[in-house]
Amino acid sequence: MLSYIMRRIGVSIVILFGSSFLVFNLAAYASDPLAELRLSTDDGARQQIIALTRDLNLDVPPPIRYFLWLKGVLGLFVGNLNLGMTREASSVQEELGYAIPVTLRLVLVATFTALILGMAFGIISALRQYSRFDYGMTFLAFLLYSLPIFWIAVLLKEFMAIQFNNFLANPDIPISWMVLASIFTGVFWGALFGGERKRFWSIFAGAFATNLLVLWAINLTDWYLNPGLGPILVGLLSGGLAIGVTSISTGVENKPARNAALSMAALAFLSYYPAQWVFNNFGSYLTIFLLIVLIVLTGIALSKIFSKIDRGPIARTAIITGILSGFLILTDRVMQSWAGYMATDAVNGRPVPTYGQRKDQLVTDDFWLNNLDIISHLVLPTLALILISLAGWIRFTRGSLLEVLNQDYIRTARAKGLNERTVVTRHAFRNMMLPLSSLFVGEVLGLISGAVITERVFGWQGMGTLGIKAINSYDLNLLMGVNLLLSILVVLGNLIADLLYSVLDPRIRLGK
Amino acid sequence: MKITGGAKLALAIVASSALAVSLLSPAQAATRSTIVLHDTNSLTSFNSGTPDTNLTINSKVGNLSGIGFLYINDKKNVIRNTKFGEFKIVKNKADDFRVEYKVNKGLVWSDGTPINGVDLLLSHVLSSNKYSIAAGLGDPDSDNVPAFNSNGYGGTYNDNIVGEPVLSADKMTLTLQFKQKIANWDLYGPGPAAVHSMVLIADGVKGLQPVAVNEKARDKFFDAYKTKNTAVLKAMGKVYSEAYNITEVNATTNPLLFVGNGGFTVESAVTKSSVTLKLNPKYNSGPALSGTVDTVIFKFIADGTAAAQALANGELDIYSGQPTADAVAALKKLTNVNLIGGINACYEHWDLRVGNAPGQDEYTGIFKGHGGKGADLRRAFLLSVPREEINEKLIRPINPGATILGSTFIAPGFEGYERLVANNGSFYYNGPQDQLNAKAARLIKKHYPSASPSNPLKVNVLVPGNNPRRAAEFALAKANAIKVGFDLVGDVQASWSPKIQLSKYDVQFFAYCPSAVTQAGSNSNFKLGGGNNRNGVNLPALDKILEKLQVPLDNKTYITTIIQAERIIHAEGLTSGVFLHPAVTAVNKLLKGIKPSPLSDDVVWNWWEWSY
Repeated sequence: MLSYIMRRIGVSIVILFGSSFLVFNLAAYASDPLAELRLSTDDGARQQIIALTRDLNLDVPPPIRYFLWLKGVLGLFVGNLNLGMTREASSVQEELGYAIPVTLRLVLVATFTALILGMAFGIISALRQYSRFDYGMTFLAFLLYSLPIFWIAVLLKEFMAIQFNNFLANPDIPISWMVLASIFTGVFWGALFGGERKRFWSIFAGAFATNLLVLWAINLTDWYLNPGLGPILVGLLSGGLAIGVTSISTGVENKPARNAALSMAALAFLSYYPAQWVFNNFGSYLTIFLLIVLIVLTGIALSKIFSKIDRGPIARTAIITGILSGFLILTDRVMQSWAGYMATDAVNGRPVPTYGQRKDQLVTDDFWLNNLDIISHLVLPTLALILISLAGWIRFTRGSLLEVLNQDYIRTARAKGLNERTVVTRHAFRNMMLPLSSLFVGEVLGLISGAVITERVFGWQGMGTLGIKAINSYDLNLLMGVNLLLSILVVLGNLIADLLYSVLDPRIRLGK
Repeated sequence: MKITGGAKLALAIVASSALAVSLLSPAQAATRSTIVLHDTNSLTSFNSGTPDTNLTINSKVGNLSGIGFLYINDKKNVIRNTKFGEFKIVKNKADDFRVEYKVNKGLVWSDGTPINGVDLLLSHVLSSNKYSIAAGLGDPDSDNVPAFNSNGYGGTYNDNIVGEPVLSADKMTLTLQFKQKIANWDLYGPGPAAVHSMVLIADGVKGLQPVAVNEKARDKFFDAYKTKNTAVLKAMGKVYSEAYNITEVNATTNPLLFVGNGGFTVESAVTKSSVTLKLNPKYNSGPALSGTVDTVIFKFIADGTAAAQALANGELDIYSGQPTADAVAALKKLTNVNLIGGINACYEHWDLRVGNAPGQDEYTGIFKGHGGKGADLRRAFLLSVPREEINEKLIRPINPGATILGSTFIAPGFEGYERLVANNGSFYYNGPQDQLNAKAARLIKKHYPSASPSNPLKVNVLVPGNNPRRAAEFALAKANAIKVGFDLVGDVQASWSPKIQLSKYDVQFFAYCPSAVTQAGSNSNFKLGGGNNRNGVNLPALDKILEKLQVPLDNKTYITTIIQAERIIHAEGLTSGVFLHPAVTAVNKLLKGIKPSPLSDDVVWNWWEWSY
């Protein structure tokens, strides 16, 4: 194994050397950093040409200049990495150091949300193969697959930012919209649960009525201007979550687990007001972390109270329920800052922005306002990224699970009388993950390289924007910095994917 | 059962909303006093004077935080700022030209320090190679970075200044001596710089200081300047070249970096995101502020569509750019903005080769040589460029008022332009395209009787790549040229500008973008040995006329001189202007006083007029 890894790393270094040499020379010959200055009739152009030629060694032929650049890169081994300067005289390392976290913030949430949603839809699709839901999801997947991101981005901005902000000036939902949205919701839930026509219609009717009522209430209370969940809704939703989590995690027939989860939901309801006090007085990431620790400890304690044996799954169920309920309370708290956020001078009543990472004019120490600002800027680009990557995950998960479900061992599991939940979550789910894992590594690599178009359209200064800038301004050092980082990631990512595969599947041996 | 669940939900929402309402009573939104502008590039430095930081966004921020003896308005006219001071010619001989710059009394920097003539001296340090060498600060022309890494070295000022500026005894008047009366001499005068803050930063001081300390620091600079104290000046040079290259500004940033005399001072900045400037309460160096704007924010948005949507969403107050026809149509639909169509200073033109550029292979193509056959064919070629069609199809959808350029020296709207185009020989190239084509075909037949659309003459054209508009422009030109008997062979090059001088191209088309209007700006395109003379133009008669533009002329003589020059240029068929690059500015309807300028300062030149 070790020798295999060493060999792979050795080959990688040769590849990196070759590719960087090639890219450097291609880029150097294809571009002329002085192009604009040569045409300039400005008084200062002459001095600029002198300075750029001096700073970027433009008088050295590219193949030799490459080794000057390489010398700086190899400085890494003596603790003195130097990727050179950009043509605007900032250090390439600093530019990369700034761009990577920005890209991560943007793409991390989107990728994981897309992954979870896509897998959920894919799994349900596969379990209800050839149902209304399956066809609906297939249609949705292909629709999303065929949409270009810049177009989605423009539409999202138009309808979810510009129009929504206009709507907020006088938030009144027309009755026709309420009915249409309710019909859509009814169809979605009806299709999701499937079954007989009668069942479909009853679920449809229930969802339709609920949705209509909720929208009516929202409209009546100007909920958009003062959103929140309130203790009662938090309690109700937590109870629902408790049942849902239990049914997937252990099955509702597991009484201790069900009771532990319901107790957790009840605790969430009871802690609503104390939580407000904590959030208002100690709003910070540390508080949230400590609360999560508290939930985990409570979950373990609950498992001890409700059972003497097999406590692991019970604690797990309680903890997941607790964290999701806690998330509801947290969401509620963030929502409470909405009205204050809208009223700030920086927001000026138009809270959904179309670009940027933060409202820089919003200078406040309020933890919740700051987070609301971060979230409001994340919403649209994240949504755009989710929409375009969702389709792949849906289709891939569906295909992968269907293949697994047709295997002999699944038939065996069913034959020996296991219930469907156990068959799917224990026997099918794990094996389904295998092909997805290599896809996932590729996706995570994509995170760092940045979502070029999304970043540009939404004004995020991440890796993608940096790469585009390097190309557009003929900035060779910057381009090489971006390129080097990405090639290292690709080479490394492939190695990790291979290793991961052998870890997940014991049948695969490396290096033989 | 579902319905009762729904009812409970509704109840819960009503309850929680009531709760939320009681928890928060929204504050009243303040009336707007903020202007948000955008730029496609991110700020890289608060000093736009070094070669690396010479970006328009950097200089726009500088424009708001500093003002001197003059500014250039949206008509490209130089306007004197008499609030700051006055300047006048005190000696005007053929070989001795002196200008006196007098700073008004009572003006202050944003930290309260009175402004005087010492603050003008840094201009000389930043522009004179001779001073830099003499003071031991390094030779700007050498391979080493000079102590003051200034963009000003080696320019017109450096070439013409005689000796060093002389400061009067009361330190309020500075006199400059030039070799001769140079054209646009007023553009090369000194500008104020808060030298005391640079000295203090170099000494490691943090935070604004009392006036007495500042005065002492300025005296330290003055002494060092007079005695050419290398150590002190070098320390200041380091500050000038490096200290301003920051992009993050907050409460911990040294406020000495932002001492200025403009209407606004830098308050905060977020890397690659924005810069915020606040009203300078001590401002008295220029026209009075309207008073309704107290915050100016520059947001950096690279994508044009994104900026337009940000404008629609109220996140921006001013959008300016060179958008496509589609983008203009979209902007027109917005109800909350006013659209101001316009132009920028870039002029698109077609250049034809006469001979080889210095150091290039000999040119042997069909346009070779002045007069006779070469000139006939060049004229025929320029006649065949469908300038009206290019304007109609590519430019007018964006800028409906676009016209064919009759001159490459000055733009439409400049005083005397009408007289110029009526007399400079450009009428030869005007008219319905089929008449021009017939004229062109006759000229070709004169030298190549067998040339025809089916047996055309090959012309090699350098086509700038990565530019859809130029691709379309070339396609239109090619389609028409074949009718008169020219076959345009386009060579699309992404990196085209260094290839203009190559002898293998008979024709090139691109744009020059002057950032200031100077009399002699177009000289180097045609003069023998001129820096932009890449087509081997060698006409002593033309050189003689262009020489006259080096010294300042009144408008009448100026226009008359250009008429003489362009008559030759048009008769020789050297170049032909096609259009000015269109630009568009869209402004929040509530905002008044926005006047976009075609120069790179764009909308920021008249910040004192902005009001709500």
